[in-house]
Amino acid sequence: MWTQHAEPELGNSRAELDDGRTKPGMPRPSSGAGTGLDGSRAKLDDPRAELSFCVKNVFFLCSKRTRTKTENERSLAVSSYLNKNTNETLQRRAVRKSESARITEEQSGRQTFCRTLSSNEVHSSDLRPPPVLRNTLKYLLDLMISSEHPFEIIHDFVFDRTRSIRQDLSIQNIIDEHAIEMYEKMVEFHIISHLKLAKSHSDPDNLSLHYLNMEQLTKCLLSLYEIYDLNRIPEFVIKKENEFHSFYVLHLELSLIQMKIWLTRLSALIVRLSVICFVFRIFIYFRMGNYKRFFAILAMEASQLQLRLIEPFLNEVRVQALSCINHSGYKLQPYPLELLAELLMIKEDELESLCCECGLQIITDELGCKLVPAKQSNFHHPKSDLESYSLTTPVKFHSLDCGDRYLEGVMLEERMMVVAVLMKESIIEFSG
Amino acid sequence: MSFTSMGEAHRRIADFLNRFSEAVSTQDGASLKSLLSVSSNSSLLLSLADDLNLYQDWSRLVKQAERNSHTLGEILVPHLRCVQSYRSGRFVEAYAAFEKSANAFLQEFRNWETAWAVEAMHVVAHEIRILAELADKELASLGKNPEKLQGAGSFLMKVFGSLAGKGPKRVGALYVTCQLFKAYFKLGTVHLCRSVIRSIETAKFFDFEEFPSSDKVTYMYYTGRLEVYNENFVAADQKLTYALMHCNSRHEANLRMILKYLIPVKLSIGILPKMSLLDKFHLTEYTNIVKALKQGDLRLLRRALQEHEDQFLRTGVYLVLEKLELQVYQRLVKKIYIFQKQKDPSKAHQIKLDVIVKALKWLEIDMDVDEVECMMAILIYKNLMKGYFAHKSKVVVLSKQEPFPKLNGKPVSS
Repeated sequence: MWTQHAEPELGNSRAELDDGRTKPGMPRPSSGAGTGLDGSRAKLDDPRAELSFCVKNVFFLCSKRTRTKTENERSLAVSSYLNKNTNETLQRRAVRKSESARITEEQSGRQTFCRTLSSNEVHSSDLRPPPVLRNTLKYLLDLMISSEHPFEIIHDFVFDRTRSIRQDLSIQNIIDEHAIEMYEKMVEFHIISHLKLAKSHSDPDNLSLHYLNMEQLTKCLLSLYEIYDLNRIPEFVIKKENEFHSFYVLHLELSLIQMKIWLTRLSALIVRLSVICFVFRIFIYFRMGNYKRFFAILAMEASQLQLRLIEPFLNEVRVQALSCINHSGYKLQPYPLELLAELLMIKEDELESLCCECGLQIITDELGCKLVPAKQSNFHHPKSDLESYSLTTPVKFHSLDCGDRYLEGVMLEERMMVVAVLMKESIIEFSG
Repeated sequence: MSFTSMGEAHRRIADFLNRFSEAVSTQDGASLKSLLSVSSNSSLLLSLADDLNLYQDWSRLVKQAERNSHTLGEILVPHLRCVQSYRSGRFVEAYAAFEKSANAFLQEFRNWETAWAVEAMHVVAHEIRILAELADKELASLGKNPEKLQGAGSFLMKVFGSLAGKGPKRVGALYVTCQLFKAYFKLGTVHLCRSVIRSIETAKFFDFEEFPSSDKVTYMYYTGRLEVYNENFVAADQKLTYALMHCNSRHEANLRMILKYLIPVKLSIGILPKMSLLDKFHLTEYTNIVKALKQGDLRLLRRALQEHEDQFLRTGVYLVLEKLELQVYQRLVKKIYIFQKQKDPSKAHQIKLDVIVKALKWLEIDMDVDEVECMMAILIYKNLMKGYFAHKSKVVVLSKQEPFPKLNGKPVSS
């Protein structure tokens, strides 16, 4: 059965997990989250050892039945992360996954994978109470912040466990404000992962991770919206609800039909709020090809998380702008690259690379200024995946990327949200 | 409770059971369907519900009636339970019972070779959707997950499967398709429409012309709406126009529903409705949009969109109408061109970007010269204008021949 504090069980169960392997002292996650669940201190010598420590701690956040089951069935989640070569490609890992699952199936007559249980198998002892789920999630997200390990490994691990947390929340029908907070954090995890995986798109192994991540982001958002609806008090908006509604359309890469369905299902209360208006306008400018307004409004109004979601296809808008200018411009009056870079909020050298990718030639005038002539017949849409160039501001000319600190943008971000005047009542909401 | 009332209740319940049994044995679809339409609030079923509440041991009567056909009992017991629950306003219970009855009915339906029970099956399909919607409302009000309509959708797919084939029942498939559309549109899972559409439009045993006219109109209406969602305006125009032309002219409400979607489509391909049409069908939300297009008045368009924002968002046409902005820009620039031509024909084709900035300022629209240049580039790119923009000179130079091409029934190029 569950207890609030897992520590009393840890001492006994560690021996089961050891499985005859040597474990050096283990470090805590670098965020400094507590003393580590088993109270141990570890050195940061061996990355695998560190990861093994983290795995074990999360493992102890599972029910005893699951630990036993996983231990007996040699579930991938433990064995792979304890044993594998961190340089192993995802492809090989996927093969090992299916082999492990097959072994599991043969042994137990059921297929298990990580800790996702089918609803037929659920026992009350399997379900983790909300405080345990919150601790587990915090632990996992703190793990993301520690940047010593390759992102794909951490992501894979946290991905599986957050799914499990969502399963527990769903089976227990936990729909209170704590559930909202947990779902919001899991959405943020998927958004950050989305950006990082999109950047490493060229690696074919990462492509499947990217799509799986998108799939789970969608599911997580939809579950979150249901809980928002269930917790709705008339004329009040849950604190971050409108921003999280905006993520749905942004993560859909501005797909038209889904945007329309999304709009029809928003309550009138939500649709007038500034963040939703922002998303709406972004989408409209994107569709129209109004690159000037698109970038201007993005720079002025986008939150950090929104920027992260939208960053992978900023270049799509830029390429479209180049196409438009190349088609419609006057051949004898080429466009100054510097001015174009300002309009498209990209560094000049990055824009030059982008022009090259599109087959556009850059010329230099007698003063040494770079220019993009129009009506170039060699223009084409880039053949390969583009490197993602983030947003610059005209004044500062530096990237708005806030580094690798997971959740930093969200933790620090405080926004004042604008009044939505509806019918007879006004709603004013301040955050931070 | 008087003994007489109990007796009356007993008699009426037995009478209902006999009618049901009779309808099945004589293959009388018309009689059967009236016994199945729970949500119709017919006096028959309302009083039946009261009788069931009075005579609580009614399941015994069903067992007696079952002597002739065991399977009817599996349909009738949950059906009567549904009638009872519906009358009391317990819709979740009513739905659960009806779903059980419906599945039993479908099982029997599959065994009946002729198409005699297709109309009754249609009633079942209709009722399960309506009851599911009521049940979901009840669930949502209790803070629970509303998942009954989704379940109803699964049942409807099974019904569709039972009608999809070479036999005479196939003419009933389009009605069930439309029930599916209604469920999917309500749920927002319109992508699920794809598979049934594919079956209807490609399966060799279906001949679209064989289907009843009313079903064809409903089908074209929904598939037309899907085309609007996807902004396939040419296809949307064809389908919605079909629906409009074949819809019964007395059904004004239906005509209005079709026009609500057809008008934005027509506007997108450059065809403007007459004001008299908008007035006749009370579609005044489009009045100012049409005016804005005629006058090149961007401010009027934006105001119209804002004024009816809720309505347009709910119906899913907001983004279609918003896209008309480009045509309004085109009209505005054309007006400037015409004005300049009147002043000095030799220079009419050169329009300074500053002039456009000023014109927009008169319309209370704040746009700098960079953005105006961007809009001109877009208009030329999308073939709404012919010419080019000169960045350094800050001027747009129009072609001397047909500088503002008409759409002629085609949408603005993407």
